[in-house]
Amino acid sequence: MIPADLLYTEQHEWIKISGDTAVMGITDHAQNSLGDVTFVELPAIGKRVLQSEEVCSVESTKAASSVYAPAGGEVIEVNSELETAPELINQDPYGKGWICKLKLADKGDLEKLLTPEKYKPLTEE
Amino acid sequence: MSQPRKTCLYDNHVSLSARIVDFAGYLLPVQYESIIAEHLHTRNCVSLFDTCHMGQVLITGRGAAEKLSRALTQDSAALPIGKAKYGFLLNENGGVIDDTIIMRLGEDEFFLVVNAATKENDIAVLSPRLAGLHITHQTDWAKLDIQGPRSAEALKKFVECDLTSLKYFSVTRTKFNGADCILSRTGYTGELGYELFMPQKFMPGVFDMLLENPLVKPAGLGARDSLRLEMAYPLYGHELSETLNPKDADMEFFYDPQGNFVGADALRKYAPAQKLVTLVGESRRQFHPGDEITCGGKTAGRVTSGAFSPSLNVAIGMGYVDINASQTGAELVVKTQRAELPVKVAEKPIYTKGTCRIKVTL
Repeated sequence: MIPADLLYTEQHEWIKISGDTAVMGITDHAQNSLGDVTFVELPAIGKRVLQSEEVCSVESTKAASSVYAPAGGEVIEVNSELETAPELINQDPYGKGWICKLKLADKGDLEKLLTPEKYKPLTEE
Repeated sequence: MSQPRKTCLYDNHVSLSARIVDFAGYLLPVQYESIIAEHLHTRNCVSLFDTCHMGQVLITGRGAAEKLSRALTQDSAALPIGKAKYGFLLNENGGVIDDTIIMRLGEDEFFLVVNAATKENDIAVLSPRLAGLHITHQTDWAKLDIQGPRSAEALKKFVECDLTSLKYFSVTRTKFNGADCILSRTGYTGELGYELFMPQKFMPGVFDMLLENPLVKPAGLGARDSLRLEMAYPLYGHELSETLNPKDADMEFFYDPQGNFVGADALRKYAPAQKLVTLVGESRRQFHPGDEITCGGKTAGRVTSGAFSPSLNVAIGMGYVDINASQTGAELVVKTQRAELPVKVAEKPIYTKGTCRIKVTL
C-alpha cells in the first residue's frame, strides 16, 4: 500500500508536508518486514536532525531498526500513543502509526524524496 | 555447508504464506501472520506447531528400563507404562549432550524424543550405552504439537483414545483418523497440549484436517520461543550445552542426586559458580543472547535467550549469572547494543496461568 499524497525515502519512511511542517512514519513495506513492533524509542521534542540522519528507532520481535529523517528539521511533536501501543505502526502505518512531526529546516530537502511511482519498485524486491 | 532440509509440512507452510527460516538445518516457519498473535492464540485457544524436525527413537528389548536408567538421567525403571519424563543425556562430566523426554509404551518398550540439531549425535552416544537393545531412529515419522486450552476439543473428533483420561505427561498408542499414531500429553508452551507422532505421509493431511476447525491456527518458531520463555523452559544450545550441566541450569529437580546414571558422580562433586536465572525487564525493550549482564556495575553474566512477552507486555529472558547475583529479586542490568536495561531475577515460570495440568473435560 502506497498512498498517493505522500513522499517516500529509500529507507522506507514516508512524509506528509503541510506548509512548513511535516508528519512522518515508516511505510507499510517497512512494518511488514519488521514484524510485530514491540517498542518505539520516540525522539525528544526539540531534537534537530539533518535529512537521512537517524531520528529514532523501532524494535520488533525480529530486530531493532533505525528510522531516518526524510527531511531535515526539528522534532515538534511525537505520537505518544506509540509508548503503550507500538502495534499501531503495524496496524495503521500511515495513520495512527505516525511517529513524529517536524518543523522543516530546508525545503530543498524535499527534492531528494521519492514520489509514490518512484518508491513502488523498492517495495517489490 | 549442506542445503537446509524441508519437513513434510513445507508445502502447507508455503500455501499459508509463512515466513520461512533455517532452524537446525530445517526450513521452518518463524511466523504466519504475527508472532504476537500466534502466541496469544496459543494461550487462549489452540495452535499447531510443525516439530517434524525433532528426533524420535524407539528403544526395545529385555533390560531396556535398566539400561536407559543408566544412559539418561530419568529413572526409566521406575517410570510406569503410559508415562513420560523430562531429563537429560549427559556426558561423563555431567555436561548436557541433549535434553530429552522418555516415554514408556510397554514393559520393555520406550520412545525417546530429542532435539533436531543433536539427534544424530544422541543416537551415536546412546548406542554403546544401550548395547544389546533394539534402537530405531524413526526418520520416516513426523511430529506435530497441538497446544492451547482448546486443544483437547480440537483433537477429540479425530483420536480414538479417551482424552479425558490422558493425564499430564502421559502417552498412549492410538489412532488419528484411523491411522496408527503415538499421542503424548506434553509440550513446550505451558498450555494444555499434545504431541502427535505418526508417519510423515499422513502429516500434511492431518495438518489440513485440524486447520478446518476455525479454532485452530498455525503458529511458528517465533511464538514457540516466546511461549517457552514465559514458562522458563530451556532451549538446548542456549541454556543447555555440553559445557553446562543441570546444576548450572538450576534443574536439579529433574534428576535423582543419588542416581546411578552416566554423569551422576561428576554432578555430585560439582559446585556451580554460576546459575541460570529467569529475567524480567521493566520495559518492552528486548535483550538478546550474548548481551552482558552486570550487577552493581560489574560483569556478572550473559543473556542466553530474550524475547518480548506478549502475555505480560514486557521484555523477558534467561541468562547465566554469578551465584551471588542469582537470588530471586536481584536487580541486574543488561547492556544491549542500544541501551542499558534494568532487569530483575524472577521466579519461574514468569507466566503462571498456563493450563498444562488442567483436568480435561469434554
